[in-house]
Amino acid sequence: MSSTPSAPRSWLTNQSVRRLRAGVALAAAAALTALGALASPAAADGTPTPGSSAQRSKTSFVIGVKQDIDSLNPYVGVVASAFETYQLMYDYLTTSSAGDFSPEPWLAEKWETSADGKTWTFHIRKGVKWSDGVDLTAKDVVYTFQRAKDDETANGQYSNYVDNITKISATDDHTVVMETENPSPIMLRLAVPILPEHVWSKISAKDAGTFANDKNVVGSGPFQLAEAKKGQFYRFSANKQHFAGAPKIDELIFTVFADDSALSQALKQGEIDMAQDLPAAIADTLVNTPGITVNDAKYYGFNEIGYNLGAATTDGKAIGDGHPALKDKQVRLAIDHAIDRKTLVSKVLSGHGTTATGVIPPIYADTHWNPGSAERAFDLAKANSILDAAGYAKGADGIRAKGGKALKFRLFGRDSSEYSKQSVEYVRSWLKEIGIDAVVSIMSEDNLTAVLGKGEFDLFEWGWVVEPDPDFQLSVMTCDQRSYEEDGEIAAGWSDSFYCNEAFDKLYAQQQTMIDAKARAEVIKQAQQILYDDVAYSLTYYYNQTEAYRSDRFTGFVPQPSQGGILAFQYGTHSYRNIMPVAERPADEDSGPGVVLYVVGGVVLLVIVAGVVLVLARRKNADDRE
Amino acid sequence: MSAPAAASRRRSSPWRAFLRDREGMSGLIVLTLFGLVAIFASLLADPAGLEVTKADGPLAAAPSWDYPLGTDHAGRSVLTMVIHGSQVTLLVGLAATVISMLLGTLIGIASGHFSGLFGGALNRFTEWFLVIPYLPLAIVLATVFPPDVPKLIAVIIVIGVTSWSGTARLVRAQTMAIEARPYLERARALGGGHWHQMSRHVLPNVMPLVLANTTLTVSIAIIAETTLSFLGLGDPLRVSWGRVLDEAYALGAIDRGAWWWVLGPGVAVVLVVRAFNMCGRALERILDPRLEGRS
Repeated sequence: MSSTPSAPRSWLTNQSVRRLRAGVALAAAAALTALGALASPAAADGTPTPGSSAQRSKTSFVIGVKQDIDSLNPYVGVVASAFETYQLMYDYLTTSSAGDFSPEPWLAEKWETSADGKTWTFHIRKGVKWSDGVDLTAKDVVYTFQRAKDDETANGQYSNYVDNITKISATDDHTVVMETENPSPIMLRLAVPILPEHVWSKISAKDAGTFANDKNVVGSGPFQLAEAKKGQFYRFSANKQHFAGAPKIDELIFTVFADDSALSQALKQGEIDMAQDLPAAIADTLVNTPGITVNDAKYYGFNEIGYNLGAATTDGKAIGDGHPALKDKQVRLAIDHAIDRKTLVSKVLSGHGTTATGVIPPIYADTHWNPGSAERAFDLAKANSILDAAGYAKGADGIRAKGGKALKFRLFGRDSSEYSKQSVEYVRSWLKEIGIDAVVSIMSEDNLTAVLGKGEFDLFEWGWVVEPDPDFQLSVMTCDQRSYEEDGEIAAGWSDSFYCNEAFDKLYAQQQTMIDAKARAEVIKQAQQILYDDVAYSLTYYYNQTEAYRSDRFTGFVPQPSQGGILAFQYGTHSYRNIMPVAERPADEDSGPGVVLYVVGGVVLLVIVAGVVLVLARRKNADDRE
Repeated sequence: MSAPAAASRRRSSPWRAFLRDREGMSGLIVLTLFGLVAIFASLLADPAGLEVTKADGPLAAAPSWDYPLGTDHAGRSVLTMVIHGSQVTLLVGLAATVISMLLGTLIGIASGHFSGLFGGALNRFTEWFLVIPYLPLAIVLATVFPPDVPKLIAVIIVIGVTSWSGTARLVRAQTMAIEARPYLERARALGGGHWHQMSRHVLPNVMPLVLANTTLTVSIAIIAETTLSFLGLGDPLRVSWGRVLDEAYALGAIDRGAWWWVLGPGVAVVLVVRAFNMCGRALERILDPRLEGRS
């Protein structure tokens, strides 16, 4: 996925849709459904697979995804899979390297910065053509950035990249000069897809929000849209003229699946070549399947237990109804000590992840901070003694209280995520051990977003997907991102903890204008340490992203980062351009363990059907008798 | 019940008739067993076994002597969860049935008793609920329920208000049949008001039907609870059979081949639903005068 501030949350949000939809589709027989699905999981899902063997005259690589693309219009889409298509169809000035996410030349083959760091000159690659044959020039780049500044819809999508830019101009056909208000490291990560002026200038600002961009798309990227059927599949054909080299496959197809089981079965059957983002438990069942390789990739997301640190607007006006005890650092410290992260990783994630501390995940080695040996350990006795010392005495019911106010917190989890539901169950159980009563509710992510913004919560479980540049992730914890008042209504910022610390804000502002990566990383690490010491969040884990693919058919994947990284949905198109089919050999379809499963499922189903038939027959007889 | 003396002697003991009914008795035995399991759940299986943090079994392991129905993803015994799950499942099933029967009887009698606009409107209202596909309605209701209402209550209400329409139709038909009888005409002639007619004459006569229907509705309510829980709309932190099935499905029981994970709760649902059905049908035979006359 590509970077946008709205992507992190929506990445999670949009996975939520599939569970319910899958459930409804299967609801017909209630309890028996699980058994029914046991027998024919693939058949339960009506998703057409355009890449099936009949059409395989071309080399097509088919990826099964569970998140439909909300819009192919780069000004509109918010979900991760949508940003994935923009990377395919369009080029960006720079890309994130496959090895370590560092900025790399892409459409801009080189660049210079003025001494004060405020003027940037990008040299655009020569000879790049749009898919309709028109030359891509500096004018297109200027047009794209100018529109992202002026056009309301476009700016809504890309404001954090362009708002710092004061002037954009082309000095010749292949040179773009940008002047910025402040020096900014983000200038090398301008994730704004460069659009063709001769196409997009015909789309008015008014239409920009509704334009579908799903037919005759003109782009310059390594893959061009050939066919889109919303909710079903998206077919891209390779741009063999691309400046980074012709992709080694002819077609890339995204097929949308309704649920995890259908996805994994389709991979087993060979209908798809890759299943993206499988839950660990399901991916584990594929590990020993011949022809399939499971890539348990390190990922750049973390999850946390969040606290209401005293909800207030940016003006400092208190809002919401958070429990005041959570403003007490000792209480948060005790809660932090009562969370057994190792158990969460081993049981909730089935071991596919690591325990978490700093808000920048370790995959970004340069900017990640962790407390090392000073890490707070899981220690219920210590948690209890911290609360004792802070004056929270246990009452007759085992619940602690101070000044007549019991430590009774609401704990919110998300209904779309099994991981979330399980995590809150564990946390609730641990908190009980230290005399804290956590009242759990599970709600939709939309609901949770709303109550967080209004400050009507105590504890919650959620997570973030972190971009290569740490700026956005740190900004979430600044005072400015707290909710604000607009026309008498409370509008939410990005903050979900209402954390506000002058020292942290200072470091945040400082790193924003630092061009020297090393020095900036030190500041970023200090900022993370402040968050950890303040217990602003209790991070639970960094989770892995699990992908499974047909290694008997395709090879050449480029992981990002190179050590144990992900193969698809990267920052950049590294894998897609390098995937190639392995030498022909007979595909061995269907596998051993699956057959046993079908037999067991079939027998169980048969017994139940027989039982139902028997009952119906008897009932019919009974009716006759009456 | 205000039945004629002769008839009341003939069915002097519906209980004895029920005892003689093999179908009804076997259903009752199964139900009694599940009822006892629900009541004594904490004695049969330590409730600490439901706490994910205390579970120490192997993860998603097949049945063994220690774990007769296997374990789930967190290493909890599926048997423990089925035993404790019976509480929520039966509670929701019975409570939702009470709501459903109250609504069904009330609206059924009223729509049968009142002719004209009011009765017609009630009847259309019933039909409206009958034709709306039940599951989507339940899903929508469960989703829009205010989050501060406990999920368990929400599920009970949702099932209650979506499953009364069939009962109301039955009761309405029976009410109209009873209202045509001469003694109701007499009651009207003597100046009996609507309330008097409905409560003293119609209600006692539709009661047998309602009772028999109740046991059938319980089984529908239990299936509904299981369905909603399976769809993730139930109370996610209370163990119920549907919730176990939901977890099993969501956590890849199918791909893992963990059949034991779905077998326990699945069979439990089938048994209880079937048992309620059997009892209901037996009651129907014994209490419904028309059926009795024929058999």
